Amino acid sequence: MSSLRLVSAAARRVPSSFGIARRGYAEASDKIKLSLVLPHQAIFTSTEVVQVNISAATGDMGILANHVPSIEPLRPGVIEVVESAGGSKKWFVSGGFATVHPNNKLTINVVEAAPLEDFSVEAIRTNLQEALRVVSGNGSEEDKLEARIEADVYEALQHAVSSK
Amino acid sequence: MLLRSSLARIAVQPTLGAAPAGARNMATLREIELRLKSVRNIEKITKSMKMIASTKLAKAQRAMQAGKQYGLANSEVFKVATDDKSSARRLFIVVSSDKGLCGGIHSSVSKATRRAISNATDSPFATAEGSSVTIEGDSPVMVIGDKSKMQLIRALPQNLVLTFNQIGRDIPTFADAAGVADLIIKSGVKYDSVVLVYNKFVSALSYEAAIMEVKGAEALKESDGFKAYEMEDDFTGDLAEFSLANAVYAALTEGHACEQSARRNAMDSASKNASDMIGSLQMQYNRGRQAAITNELVDIITGASAL
Repeated sequence: MSSLRLVSAAARRVPSSFGIARRGYAEASDKIKLSLVLPHQAIFTSTEVVQVNISAATGDMGILANHVPSIEPLRPGVIEVVESAGGSKKWFVSGGFATVHPNNKLTINVVEAAPLEDFSVEAIRTNLQEALRVVSGNGSEEDKLEARIEADVYEALQHAVSSK
Repeated sequence: MLLRSSLARIAVQPTLGAAPAGARNMATLREIELRLKSVRNIEKITKSMKMIASTKLAKAQRAMQAGKQYGLANSEVFKVATDDKSSARRLFIVVSSDKGLCGGIHSSVSKATRRAISNATDSPFATAEGSSVTIEGDSPVMVIGDKSKMQLIRALPQNLVLTFNQIGRDIPTFADAAGVADLIIKSGVKYDSVVLVYNKFVSALSYEAAIMEVKGAEALKESDGFKAYEMEDDFTGDLAEFSLANAVYAALTEGHACEQSARRNAMDSASKNASDMIGSLQMQYNRGRQAAITNELVDIITGASAL
């Protein structure tokens, strides 16, 4: 599913101008300007990157330069930023919106994010069990729903950390 | 309170001047001494308030930088989706805080709101996006912060629908902004777009009232610019709510940084004034003391030579 989306996202790319016609800043059109921001921290501000992989609510997708304008709500999951060919960084985000703008800009507003390597596997496991215990317990509907969401986030986190 | 009592004392002085010469001298010396003491105390207070504001300012500025980037990324959509109907119903949110002693921070946003609603020539809309925008006189207004609420409750009593307080005492958090946005949405006020009136940080010494506009879900759907975006499902409502919280957060952090810097400046000049006052009072006190000594000496000498 995710690889399919990646292919279709790449196919949606508007073909950039070919070698002969291209002049000046040849590299610029291959990169997309990324702003990845949290309320208390700006991780990227209009930084040129090669590719960004996001986990949208409708499925995982990869965004390259000159992507069609689109708005994607994010689910708790991993954002992978490929700054240059070879190197990539991963963050786990709690949810927000990613918006691709017509002027080759990508803005991602998320409420909370942290580098993937900062998470402790043990803490995730114990907290997940705690959340699942509340879900199966006999609390109010609201508490159960909250714990269900919590458990979903921990499951996504566990999956992300284990498949690192 | 201290200020008021010292002011009252100034007002009292001329009547004291009518008292007999000897008695007056002693009384004024005592008076001046008391005033010196109280002005010194005021100086101590303003100085420490300045120190506190300076340390808070550094933190507030850091928060503002992140908050500003967050706001910029958030408003990118609205830059594309602009086709202003001049008849759009706008909800004004005035962003200030509860505490005073910080210069004209609160009246700056209150005045800007009043100008915007009365469609004045210097309204923030006139400079921001051309004078084609007209604001309805009965536009709803919500206020964050007690100080601006007190100012607007007199100027626009019929427009005020909701006020918030206890926000902006410390560095604003996203939870604060989300709470405000939630209450705005729950309040059931109908609007096409939300206009945030906040103080924009120009430099450490100056600020100006500015506006930030966030469209509601319906207005976004009707906007031609917005139709350029591809969406799998319809998330416009979610996006509008999230954007509102983000914009409120950005305005809160920037307003908070402005407030701290304005408080620092206000307290700085208050300390300066106090030390000026101390200088002149000290001079007056010394002169009075010397005159009293001279008078006594004259009395003694004349008494001695008369014998």
